[in-house]
Amino acid sequence: MITREWPMYRVILENLQLLPLLPRFNLKPGFGELSVDEVCQAHGVNTDFFLEIANAYLDEMYAPDEGLALFPLGTMVDYITSTHNYYKEIALPMVEEKLFRLVDHSSLSDKEIHLISTFFNDYKEDFRAHLSREEEQILPYVLELEKQASLDKPDPLFIKKLQGYSIREFEQEHNRLETSLSHLSELIIKYLPPFDDLQLCHQVLNDLATLMKDLVDHADMEDKVLIPRVAELEKHLLNRTAPA
Amino acid sequence: MKISGFILIIDSYLVRKGLISLLNRIQGIRVLKEFGASDPFMTYLDTHPVDFIVISQSAFRRRSDLFISNPELLEKTVLLEEPLPEDQNSEKPIQEVQASIHIMENKETLIAKIEGLLDPGGHRISGNRAGELSPRETTIVRLVSMGLTNRQIAEQLFLSAHTVMTHRKNIISKLGIKSVSGLTIYAIVNNIITLDEVSSFPAK
Repeated sequence: MITREWPMYRVILENLQLLPLLPRFNLKPGFGELSVDEVCQAHGVNTDFFLEIANAYLDEMYAPDEGLALFPLGTMVDYITSTHNYYKEIALPMVEEKLFRLVDHSSLSDKEIHLISTFFNDYKEDFRAHLSREEEQILPYVLELEKQASLDKPDPLFIKKLQGYSIREFEQEHNRLETSLSHLSELIIKYLPPFDDLQLCHQVLNDLATLMKDLVDHADMEDKVLIPRVAELEKHLLNRTAPA
Repeated sequence: MKISGFILIIDSYLVRKGLISLLNRIQGIRVLKEFGASDPFMTYLDTHPVDFIVISQSAFRRRSDLFISNPELLEKTVLLEEPLPEDQNSEKPIQEVQASIHIMENKETLIAKIEGLLDPGGHRISGNRAGELSPRETTIVRLVSMGLTNRQIAEQLFLSAHTVMTHRKNIISKLGIKSVSGLTIYAIVNNIITLDEVSSFPAK
C-alpha cells in the first residue's frame, strides 16, 4: 500500500498503471525526490484523497478503513469530473482515431466496416449519456448533500427528498461501460479476418484494454469510495434531523 | 449480471487467501474485504452492502453473540466447516445459516456450492454467456441483429408489438446494451448470429 512518505517518483515508476491518474490531479512527472505528500501539497491536491484513489486503483481488494476517508466530497466530485473529461477528450477519441484508421486501411467488407463504425458511434453516444447523467444528476446531489449536512438547519425539502432516495439506488443501476468494449476486442481477435497493419491492430487492442481497465477501476472507486461515503452522510443527516 | 459482494472472516491467512483465489474464479463475485475473527467487521457490515459472509467455524463460535440475535446476518452467512480441536467439538450448536462449505471439499464441489448461492433462479452465466437471456430474448436479439424492426419481429414471432417492446426493455436491463449495433456485436461474440447473417445496415 502506498503511503504519504513514499517518494512520488517511486510510486509511479513501480506502478505505471497510475499514469492516467496524474493529469486528473494536474500532476506531471519530473517529481525529483519529493514525497507523495510534498507533491500533493505543492499542487493543492488533498493527499489523503490521492492515496485513497491510488490505492484503490492498485489493489482490487482495497476497501477504505472506517473514518479514514475524511476528505471533502467536493474534492471527489472534482476528481470524477476531470476523469470524465479525460475519457471524453482523450481516451475515447484516441481509441476512435486508431480504430477508424485500422478499419479504413483494412480489407474488411463494407458491411463489417459499417458494423464497427456504427457500433463505435453508438457506443460513444451511450458513453456520453452515461457521464452526463452522473454529472447532471448524481454529482450535484452529492454536493448538495454535503452542503446541507454542514448546515445547522438543513432544508426540510431536501430532507424530505432524502427520505425517499439513497445513493445506493444509483449503485444498483450503475451499469458497466466496459462490457461493450470487451465485445469489440473479442470481435477483432476472434471473428474478423486478420488486419494487414498488425502494429496498429495491437495498439487498438492495447488501448481498448487500458480504457476497459481504467473504467473498471473508476467504477470500483465510485462503488468503494464515493458511494459508501455518501451513504454514510445520508444516514448521518437523516439521524440528525429525525424527530426525537 | 448482478455482482455479489463477499467478505471473509477467517483467522488462517492461508485459508483466507486460498478461498479468495477460488472466489475470484467465479463470475459475479467480488471479494470486498477480509477479516480475522477479532477484527471489527460489524462496523464494515453497517456501512457496506455485503451479500455474503464466509466465516470459519471457529470464528463463528467465537463471535456467535453477534450472529445469534441477527437473522439478517445468518441469512448471509456461509459457514466454512473445519476440523475443530476436540474440546470445542461438542460446544454450542451452530445456528441456522444460509449454507456451509467444508474445508476438505474439492474445488468443483466448492464452486458448485458457491455458485448455487448466487442465483437461486438458476440462470447463471456459464460457458455460453448468452445464457443470461431467455430463449425468447435470444431469438429477439438474433432478429434485431438481422436488421428486423420491432414490428417485423412481432409479426414473425406472432407476438404483439407491445410484448416485443417489453422483451427489448428486459434485454437492455439484463445486458446494459441499448443500441442495435451493440446488440449485434454482442450476438456475434456470443454465437447467437454469424457475421454473415448480420444485416448490412442495422435498423436504428
